[in-house]
Amino acid sequence: MMRTIEIFLVIIIITAAFIISSLFAVLPSPRQVSPLNLRRLALTTLQTLDVDYDLSEIVFKPEDDPAWGKLQIALSACLPPNIVYNLTAYEVSTEGTELYHPIKSISNAESLGVASDAGSYLVASSNVTFDVIPEKIGEHGGGGTLYILNCSDANGWWITGYTGQSLAEDLYKLLSPYFKITIMVQNTTQLAQILDGTSIQGETLQDAVVINTFGETVPIPSGYYATQGYSGGSYAKYCYILGQKVRLYNWTWASIVGWPFYYVSNTGLFSSSQNGWGIYGMVMVSSYGLRAFLQGLDNQHYGYSTSSTGNPGVVYLSQEAIYYCNYYGIYPSPYQTSTRALPDSILTTYNLPQSSVTYIFNRVGNWIPGAVYRHIAAGDNKITGSLFALGLTRTPDIRLTGLGLLCAFKPRLYRSEYTASGTSRLVVLQFGQVGGA
Amino acid sequence: MVSSTIDHMVATVVFLGALLLFVGLFNQTIQTAILYQRHRYIATKCSDLLDNMLLNPGYPLDWGTSNCTPTGFGLQDPEFTQYKLSPFSLMRLRSSTGELVYYPKTDSYYSNITMGYGFLLVPLTEVINYSSAARLLGINGTYGFQLTITPIITVSIKELQPKNPLILSVVVTGMGFPLANAAVSYCFLTVREGSGGGPYPSYMMEYGTDFADETGSVLLNFPSVTTDVSYVLIVYAHMSGLVGVGYYEHATYENSYVVPFIDSLEERRVLIAHSWDVHGGASPAEIAYNATFVLLTEDFTLREMPMENSTGKTGKINYGQDPEHAYKEITIPTYNPGILIISYRKSAQETGVVLMPWGISAMAFPVTFGDNPFGKEWVATDIRQVTVNNIAYQAKLALWSLEGYGVIG
Repeated sequence: MMRTIEIFLVIIIITAAFIISSLFAVLPSPRQVSPLNLRRLALTTLQTLDVDYDLSEIVFKPEDDPAWGKLQIALSACLPPNIVYNLTAYEVSTEGTELYHPIKSISNAESLGVASDAGSYLVASSNVTFDVIPEKIGEHGGGGTLYILNCSDANGWWITGYTGQSLAEDLYKLLSPYFKITIMVQNTTQLAQILDGTSIQGETLQDAVVINTFGETVPIPSGYYATQGYSGGSYAKYCYILGQKVRLYNWTWASIVGWPFYYVSNTGLFSSSQNGWGIYGMVMVSSYGLRAFLQGLDNQHYGYSTSSTGNPGVVYLSQEAIYYCNYYGIYPSPYQTSTRALPDSILTTYNLPQSSVTYIFNRVGNWIPGAVYRHIAAGDNKITGSLFALGLTRTPDIRLTGLGLLCAFKPRLYRSEYTASGTSRLVVLQFGQVGGA
Repeated sequence: MVSSTIDHMVATVVFLGALLLFVGLFNQTIQTAILYQRHRYIATKCSDLLDNMLLNPGYPLDWGTSNCTPTGFGLQDPEFTQYKLSPFSLMRLRSSTGELVYYPKTDSYYSNITMGYGFLLVPLTEVINYSSAARLLGINGTYGFQLTITPIITVSIKELQPKNPLILSVVVTGMGFPLANAAVSYCFLTVREGSGGGPYPSYMMEYGTDFADETGSVLLNFPSVTTDVSYVLIVYAHMSGLVGVGYYEHATYENSYVVPFIDSLEERRVLIAHSWDVHGGASPAEIAYNATFVLLTEDFTLREMPMENSTGKTGKINYGQDPEHAYKEITIPTYNPGILIISYRKSAQETGVVLMPWGISAMAFPVTFGDNPFGKEWVATDIRQVTVNNIAYQAKLALWSLEGYGVIG
């Protein structure tokens, strides 16, 4: 009997242990077991409200500004009805002991319940300035020099409404941040200097980019280049020499509009000659110039023969160019009129392999309205000179020139740099849940 | 001696019985605790997995705009950080709500997100299916999931008066409350007879802005509509960073219409098919169409983007043709999200218009991807607010275990 009583005592003890342990082992409610990640939800809500910088704008407005009411409407609209919130904006102070000073609070409930969580988001005032630092072309390799032909002793053609000099100035503003050094070639004497392989300011001559701002005209230095470049009654030979120099120095020669190398210009040399359309200081080379240039680029023998261009009409920026429009923030019209597109036959005739061409405009049939052609000699694998030809009709849009060169070299843009202090506010969004288990 | 033995036996039996009972009771408590622990783990996994999907663009980065099969699954827009999703990656997810559409002329099935006359049909060969995504996420066979991407702002449009003037009611609501005083910008396109009586329909576009009232609604009047015409209204509503889209079409002829199928995402090629070849129907007829493409600009207005003539922006399609002549092809001019608007006509009075979003966000289409969580033992959910090309969406992931809960008492 005693044993049975002892056993009952043991049962009573175990029962007490079970009841006591059950009292302490309180299992969490389903909401606590499988909670919404309110912290992440708060952060993503703030990011959504700031997608177009609206939140950044509103939190710097006075406390009685109607924009706060709109923010509350937007906040209520974007959350499920069972979520209650409290949004508080804090001034971030760098002075005194109080780092965050509350300036405005909006809420849709008196209390957020016992379980709440918060996300925070630091916003900057629109007064803050940001720097975009582009990678310099040539920074991690050869080249990095940009020559812009700004020759005071040359005239342009098909740059109607502009002068070569005014275009040069705009191109300088647009492209100089992307190059290690930008040099304005002020006259044809300086042009002869770089063609001779002598730098102007100690810059690297090899792998440079040369932009001819004179449209269908190319400046010609007097002296050696004018004499050696004149053959058989034409200055096409000068274009041939230019092609050779481009190959020799691995330059990228940019023609901004029209039929490249159609005229040569030197106001001193040709003071009494005009191009056939009444512009003095200029001599027509006609279509022979382009052919001669390409022969020089490909190291072929000089042969005086014509070249051809096509008239495909309305042409469209390539996908790659559209992508880089967004990347560099350059937005020319995506469709242009081309009346001087180069034929695709030059790709094979002059060793400009298709695989190395950067198309700025989509091809139209056999015509290429705008592209960067890179010369790779047969049996070789390295680039020896490039031609960037925009075969568009006048008047030129130098943004297309800039875009084309940036597409070809693709310098990176480093992230913005925060350059102001004391202009930040902290927004804290706290969420709680109502209803349910 | 005997009573002592009986005492021992009774005590032993009672003790063993009590012991078994208490083991059962304690085991039940422990079992419940383990289950809760597992549920907690699923909730944590759900949150992690959702971030994993939304905060990485997958690999290759441009898989959304190409025809390739990704080797890494992620939905983030590769050009942005944070919770900004690619409108094209979302387009490549096989919809688990719409029924597959079979187009006999290409002998292909298409994943289907169609809402009214807004079509989004992507070939099955180009979409990512649930099992592939689960494998890429490393949860194949261990977890099941359903990802739902839903627009936060709903823009509902109703026709109140058909003409003289046409009056349309626009109501803008969020998930919880109406978007009172929201700014509303719209593009109103009416289908017209072809210029000079030509065979292809032309269209006229009208743009405008207005504001919703306290209840989030606004009435839009179009006095230029004096007869029964086909039209489409596309509305963008925005306030404090929240942007939503809605649309409404009215067609005077619906026996035959065009059905756009995406043919190649990489080449931006769209097939223009005849509705009879897809859905059948009564009294089919040859129809002529005219396609245009519009983009949403930063100031929330729509801008027409010219399409190259060579892309086949106009043409005629007939029903029951052999596959070579059954459909036409057009090329979308860009990878920027926008809306392909295709007006069609049978005769001067019988016209219509259909839409196709290029990028899921352009028409705020929802996406449901994955398995159905209905009937699963324990489903953990988590949500994030995301933007898809600046349109506000909510991403919700439902996750459950496929390995069972093998806690045996």
